[in-house]
Amino acid sequence: MNPIRILLADDHTVMRNGLRLLLERQPNLSVVGEASDGRETVRAAESFSPDVVVMDIAMPNLNGIEAARQITAARPETAIVILSMHSDESYVIRALKAGARAYLLKDSAEGDLIAAIRAISEGKSFFSPAISRILVEDYMRQLEQQHAEDTYELLTAREREILQLLAEGKTNKEVASMLNLSVYTIETHRTHILQKLNLHNVPELILYAVRKGIIS
Amino acid sequence: MAVGGFDAIQVLAQIQSRNVQIRQVYLTRNRALEHIRSSLYLSGTVVRDYLLDPEPAGAADELGRLRGLRSEMAAAMDAYGKSLSAAEAQPVRDLRTGLAAYWSVLEPALRWSPQERRELGYGFVQHELLPRRAAVLSLADRIAALNEQELNGGDERLEETFGRFRRRLLIMLAATLSMGLLLAAVAASHILRLERQSAARYQQVMRAQTELKELSARLLKAQEEERRAISRELHDEVGQSLSALLMELGNLAAVAPRNLEPLQRHLESIRRLAESSVQVARNMSLLLRPSMLDDFGLVPALEWQAREVSKRTGMAVSVDAPDISDNLPDDHNTCVYRVVQEALHNCARHAHAHSVRIGVRLTAGRIALSIQDDGQGFDARRVRGLGLVGMEERVQHLGGTFHVRSEPGHGTELQVELPVPGEPAAMLTRENQSVVPT
Repeated sequence: MNPIRILLADDHTVMRNGLRLLLERQPNLSVVGEASDGRETVRAAESFSPDVVVMDIAMPNLNGIEAARQITAARPETAIVILSMHSDESYVIRALKAGARAYLLKDSAEGDLIAAIRAISEGKSFFSPAISRILVEDYMRQLEQQHAEDTYELLTAREREILQLLAEGKTNKEVASMLNLSVYTIETHRTHILQKLNLHNVPELILYAVRKGIIS
Repeated sequence: MAVGGFDAIQVLAQIQSRNVQIRQVYLTRNRALEHIRSSLYLSGTVVRDYLLDPEPAGAADELGRLRGLRSEMAAAMDAYGKSLSAAEAQPVRDLRTGLAAYWSVLEPALRWSPQERRELGYGFVQHELLPRRAAVLSLADRIAALNEQELNGGDERLEETFGRFRRRLLIMLAATLSMGLLLAAVAASHILRLERQSAARYQQVMRAQTELKELSARLLKAQEEERRAISRELHDEVGQSLSALLMELGNLAAVAPRNLEPLQRHLESIRRLAESSVQVARNMSLLLRPSMLDDFGLVPALEWQAREVSKRTGMAVSVDAPDISDNLPDDHNTCVYRVVQEALHNCARHAHAHSVRIGVRLTAGRIALSIQDDGQGFDARRVRGLGLVGMEERVQHLGGTFHVRSEPGHGTELQVELPVPGEPAAMLTRENQSVVPT
């Protein structure tokens, strides 16, 4: 089995060195390059074609979110892990919208990074437990304050199943073949799910799933 | 002026009384002279009758009449003689002497016997009595002329007094006028000076006020810059270094011998310390100035703030800010953010509100912010805490308007409008513009 090729992007040298040490202790993980700002990261992603980019948000020249957007646009197969100091959902949702599949807090990197890399290289999403907790707590409070009924209850069993698969990062086609349904049917389900949950796109759906604890 | 007027009235009254007096004196004297003349004529006639009547039946009567006439003339003479001018004294004395001489010539003739009267009477009348009488009459005429002169002189004097009075009036008028003008000039210059002084003072006050405003704006800006710098430093440097430390701790723990239990315990304790330090740095950084404000703009920062306040206080805080551009000017972002922060602080601390609704709209080149709570409210006309003053000041620095609507028991609503430079004035927001409750 080929090792997972990783690009490290962080403007803190100490951080990069620590990460490299951490990753290289693992079998099957290989750090193929490093970058210290956003533009350099985009270029390195081009030249090294890594499987996974582990990237900070706060970087000079181009921030991690913009870099993620550009890398995703150029190489959609590249999985992006955001490793950030920011724990607020405004960062998380923007990172997800830009194409990131995992969002980790830097202070939990040591414990979670390996798991996150393995998860996203299998097409799943991954969030730091701290992030999941924050998102879920906020959501629960919001629900409590709005006295809104739980929109999740509106979903059918099939829709819940499809929601989970989509949130895990599967494409419509993958979900269709797993459930033995047509891509068209999956499209329809997806539209219904988004409507019922009052969501607009897949990143929001992922965030919802994290908040609900459907995925982690 | 009043003194002048009073004086003028007095002078006029004086002139009037002098005039009356002069006329009276003239008339009195004239009458006396007339009396003397008529008595003189009469006496002449009586004496002639007495002398020329050979057998006068009433000779004694005529003598009595003569005596009466003589005493009347003496009385008239005395009356005339009072307060004479120098020019008149001599003729009056002459008249008196003339009269005395007249009577003294008459006197012996009155004692004549009828015989003597017949013989001498006619000659006496022709050569003594009539010339004497004519002489006395001419004297009286002279005096009458003098009296007339006196009257004319009095008129002249009056005329003169009038002239003097006119001159005096003119001088007084001129003096009063010039004094008035002087007074007016002095007063005007004084008023002008006061006006200049007050204008200068007003300018000073205005300048000081402007300077104060600028200073406070600069102070706010400097404070914001400082917060931003410290926030970034805490987040990017302290936080990152602590995170790197955690990473290295992990690496150390991985290579440290598993069986060295105290070492592992210490590593674990350091890790927990570093973790809590990262938390502290992150929270402090966000509280100083949330990074979303600079990274993503106003709305994410407001939403974070709303979540934080909800979490901390249990108030339900909703943010309704559709279509707010994420590249509003930095000053505007900061202003709205800080106003909302302060308002939420008030809602939780003073109003004890259960829910707060924050609305932000971008309409016609203006940001319209409204913050409405269901708290206990206050009397907005009387209470004006430092928090509100500070908010208002921030808003005014950016040329905006700030309104507070509150009543005890009916919650509070803050309304802020900020003009946004470079924002097209005609731009309208989409639907639900009426969300802002009134």
